[in-house]
Amino acid sequence: MRRAQETQGAQGVRRARRAPRGYLAAGPIAIPLARAGVVAGLAVLVLLLAAAVATLSMGRLGVPVPDLLHALTHGPSEGKQAFVLERLRGPRLAVAVGTGAALGLSGALFQTVTRNPLGSPDVIGLSAGAGAGAAVAALLLPGTLPPWAGALAGAALAMALVYFSTGTGFRNPGRLIVAGIGVYAIATAIIQYVVYAVERDRAAALTAYVNGSLSARSWEHAATVWATLLAVVPLVLLLSRRLAVTELGDELAAGLGADPRRARSAAVVLSIVLSAGAVAVAGPISFIALTAPQIAKRLTRLPGPHLTLATLVGALLLVLADLAAQQAPLPGSLPVGVYTLALGGLYLGYLLIREWRKGSL
Amino acid sequence: MSLAARDLTISYGGAPVLRDLTVDIPHGGFTMVIGPNGCGKSTLVKAMGRVLKPGGGQILLHGRDLWSYRGREAARHVALLPQNPVAPDGITVEGLVRRGRYPHHTLLRQWSPADDDAIAFALERTGLGDLGGAQVGRLSGGQRQRAWIAMVLAQQTELLLLDEPTTFLDISHQYELLELCRELHEEGRTVVAVLHDLNQAARFATHLIVMSEGRVVAQGPPSEVVTSRLVHEVFGLECDVVPDPRTLTPMVVPHTRRAAAASLAGRAQNAPRTSTISDSGNSR
Repeated sequence: MRRAQETQGAQGVRRARRAPRGYLAAGPIAIPLARAGVVAGLAVLVLLLAAAVATLSMGRLGVPVPDLLHALTHGPSEGKQAFVLERLRGPRLAVAVGTGAALGLSGALFQTVTRNPLGSPDVIGLSAGAGAGAAVAALLLPGTLPPWAGALAGAALAMALVYFSTGTGFRNPGRLIVAGIGVYAIATAIIQYVVYAVERDRAAALTAYVNGSLSARSWEHAATVWATLLAVVPLVLLLSRRLAVTELGDELAAGLGADPRRARSAAVVLSIVLSAGAVAVAGPISFIALTAPQIAKRLTRLPGPHLTLATLVGALLLVLADLAAQQAPLPGSLPVGVYTLALGGLYLGYLLIREWRKGSL
Repeated sequence: MSLAARDLTISYGGAPVLRDLTVDIPHGGFTMVIGPNGCGKSTLVKAMGRVLKPGGGQILLHGRDLWSYRGREAARHVALLPQNPVAPDGITVEGLVRRGRYPHHTLLRQWSPADDDAIAFALERTGLGDLGGAQVGRLSGGQRQRAWIAMVLAQQTELLLLDEPTTFLDISHQYELLELCRELHEEGRTVVAVLHDLNQAARFATHLIVMSEGRVVAQGPPSEVVTSRLVHEVFGLECDVVPDPRTLTPMVVPHTRRAAAASLAGRAQNAPRTSTISDSGNSR
């Protein structure tokens, strides 16, 4: 509607020398940046900040907000606070934000190129492969590899299996999902086998890992996931313009001069790298990659892909879930993956009911 | 000759759909490609739109191999509207048309002053000037197809390829769209369309390319190409070809099976019965 006036008459031609609303323009540079998207992004960012402050300040070991501000500007004042901020909750928060962001972006990339709202690297067996790798490394062949390395190797192997069994790499979304479900089943079977093959009590130690956990994370974990983000995000920025065109269908995208298959392969690879980075530091955390893009899509009524927003929503979701994992009055400390699973399950149910009410299911 | 195929061979894994096909698209013409289902007409247009890569032979754009151009460079010369484009959720007509400007953009310059003029022109030309802010998902079938045409118009190419642009439209919108294509051609563009309806093709095209089993079996002006013998050979349909009472272009009037069986003589007497609804599907 806002552009309708400009389409008529000479007035539109004269006004057309400046970039219209919805663009960030400076000199020869003009990049689309819709206001609704910026507003939604800032809102999510504020919520993320609030959740981060809550994570650091709540509970028995929490650092009160005034001390937090002081610690930020002058460094932590006393021993207990320093321990909480530098060893306990600080790295844990940094890992949660980075992992959530990586998962959110990973899911948004995957869903955009497969045109499947239920798509994420998990669906094609990435997490299951990671779980199987960790199980084999930690329980079947103890002492060979640390669990995180086993997880990474398992994830890589699973993705390689998907890549080669489709016959077309990552180009064809339908084949990708069918091959992925097969790999997912194989990996799950391996986890089951390992759990039954070893004694029960040792298997219990693995359960937390297979569900994804953020407890006892160090700054090294944070560095790993943030380095993954830092490496992948610029490549995503280079790719994003082509992804927007790929949304119009493969043939139209090709006609516009954007090779849709290459764009899709690149997006799937980046999505996998992000998810693998997340899995390496936190284990397979479910549902963030699935729900973050869907929530991002509903925050604005703009056409996609909502990559930035999904990244921020992913970070927010995981920090909230981890806050619940740390502060919920439940016996024992449940791994954060259990909370994201519950959260995601609820959300998925809500989505299905909504679609069902609309009559499109 | 701005666009041509030379010894073009294309296969989807199995037997070739097109084999050693050579054809020229007349510059500035309104060319329609017709033929029975599976004859390769869509494949030819997709190959010309750089969607399918030839297994053998070449597509020539201004005398140069189409695949020697960079993707966006080729897309500034040739625009293709495929059969089933996808409108992203929540996109407006103007947003959709804007995506047609992709080949004119770079990473850091995703808007240029020429965009607004091109988009305004495309919307106005397709009669969507007032619907720029409307959601594409809420448009009627005819309006939606015009929005897609507007998108490829905004691409500002001298060549426009349309793969079955009238499918899914009711008959009045089919003619409305064909009139629009003709106007676009008369403004100086070279328009190529794949069409199912022989009578529409004969009425609107300046040049027909008739395909069968991956080959070009006839080409030229409709008045020379469309004969009852050709329709019988290519489509396996017995028919009369009479002048269209309005435009004098060739018009195909199919025989019904029953009528053909019942009458060995007096073909002309039976002809009027042949346009019953139950038989019109044969001409597609």
